[in-house]
This record gives sequence, structure tokens and C-alpha cells, in this order.
Amino acid sequence: MLEIISRGETYGYEIAKKLHQMGFEGLAEQTVYALLLRLEKNRLVHITKKPSEMGPPRKFYRLNERGLEELAAFWARWDYLSGCIQNLRNSGRDDGDLQSGNQG
Amino acid sequence: MTFSQEIKDKMVQFAKEQSQYYLDEAEMTYLEKLRWKTGQTRSKIAAKLAKFKGRSETALEAQNDLLLYMSDYMKDLMEKGLSEEEAFERAKEELEYRSESERSADLHERFARYYEMRDPAEYEAIGLFYAGFLFFGVSIGALIGYLGGGGREMFLTDGWIDTAIGAAVGAVIGLGAGLISNAVIVLKKK
Repeated sequence: MLEIISRGETYGYEIAKKLHQMGFEGLAEQTVYALLLRLEKNRLVHITKKPSEMGPPRKFYRLNERGLEELAAFWARWDYLSGCIQNLRNSGRDDGDLQSGNQG
Repeated sequence: MTFSQEIKDKMVQFAKEQSQYYLDEAEMTYLEKLRWKTGQTRSKIAAKLAKFKGRSETALEAQNDLLLYMSDYMKDLMEKGLSEEEAFERAKEELEYRSESERSADLHERFARYYEMRDPAEYEAIGLFYAGFLFFGVSIGALIGYLGGGGREMFLTDGWIDTAIGAAVGAVIGLGAGLISNAVIVLKKK
């Protein structure tokens, strides 16, 4: 969600739709709303209120500095983790190749 | 695309009820930490949270956010061919608050409270009360049965049955007294 918000000002349901389009189809509708509340509470987003046809103002979200830092930290953690997992996968295959080579 | 007044009212009612749960969960991360630090129970914190929500605009904002989210979702569903009522029912089902973490937190707290309340001396006292009342009841019951049945001579013929009945009734009375003392200890502990 932070990544989507970082790409430009957006609102709750639009985030959910983008996530669905990106393949997160199993994501429950309630999850996005709950996460938005948490992003707001943790002060990771800048909010602009604009009029809506339903009556109450609609909140548009943009990442603030803290949100950008959190996003960068997340991607750093992700890169580290995925690198480790990839190494694990490759080393398992190499060991398997070596073992089958030794047997042959 | 607009909604009928009836559906709008239902949506507002739903958003009003459900947004409180979401808001509670969003606040709980901080409050849970606070609870561990101060040893306060969740019910006390929830009471404080209710006061906070009552005097802040946070609750109204959360309600409005959910209302708009719901209306966007419903419009999307209606564009896909669902009727207004069907879209409302689907959105209600999808957006209804459910949290496993909250349930497990409740369970955790109940366990913690149970273990906090446990005191070995208290359990020993309860056990002694039970044993004491049981011995007391059996002895008194048996004695009354023995004497009431006619003493030693009658006991050796058919009078032993009175002694046995007296002992059984005494045991029941003893257990009853043990239960009462147990209840008194538990209530005093509260």
C-alpha cells in the first residue's frame, strides 16, 4: 500500500482496486480500510480532504517523509530477505547437483 | 450513480457500528504496549479509549472513511450488474470487522489474569477447608447415626445402617460447607 500511495495522490478504494489489478485478488476489502487507519495513526501519510458526492469529505493520501522512509526500509528488508531465500534455493540445487554428480 | 435513502441510512448505520471496531484495533497496538508496561487490564484501557473516542473527532472520521469506502465498493459492484440491495449485502459481508488477533489477545489476557490470581496458599487453604468440613461432617453424621440408631448393641445387629446414612449425610453437608468457604475466598479475592 505504501508503494501505491508513493506513486501519487490516491484514496482508499482506488488503492484496493490497484491492488486487485496487480494480482492481489484475494485481499479482503476490510484489510485495506484497516491498514489505511493504521497508516494514518502511525503518521506515514499526508491527508488532503476533498468534497465527495456522498456528503462527508473524501480523504486523499500522499506519503510524507516518514512514509517514504518506511517504504525504503521495507524494500531494503525485502531485498535482503529475497536475496537470502534465493541463495538458499540455489545452494540447495547446487548441493543436489554435486551429490548426483558424485553418485554418477 | 446514487443510492436510495433507505440504503444510505443502512450504510451510515453499518459504518457507525463497524468503524469503532477498526478504530479500536488501530489504537490497540499502542495500548497493548502500554498495558504490558503498566500491568493494566484491557477492560480498563477500553474504558479509557471509549472516553477518548467520545470527545474526539477520530470516531466520526473513521465512520465517514468507511462510509465512502463502502459506497465506492458498492458502486463498483453495481456496475458489474448487482442490484443496490445485493451490493449492500456483499459490501456489508466483506467489510464487517473480524479479527483473530483480537480474539487471541482476549484469550491471552484471560490466561494472564487467571495466573495472576493464582496463589498457592489460597489453594492450600481451600483444600484444607474441604478436608476439614468433610471430616467434621462425616464424624458428626456417623455419631448422630450411631447414637440415634441405638448405640453399640443395635449397631451390631441392624443399627449400622443408621450410622452409614449419618456418615453419608455428614459427608454431603461437609462438602457443601467446603463449597461455601471456597466461594467466600474467591469473592474476598475479587
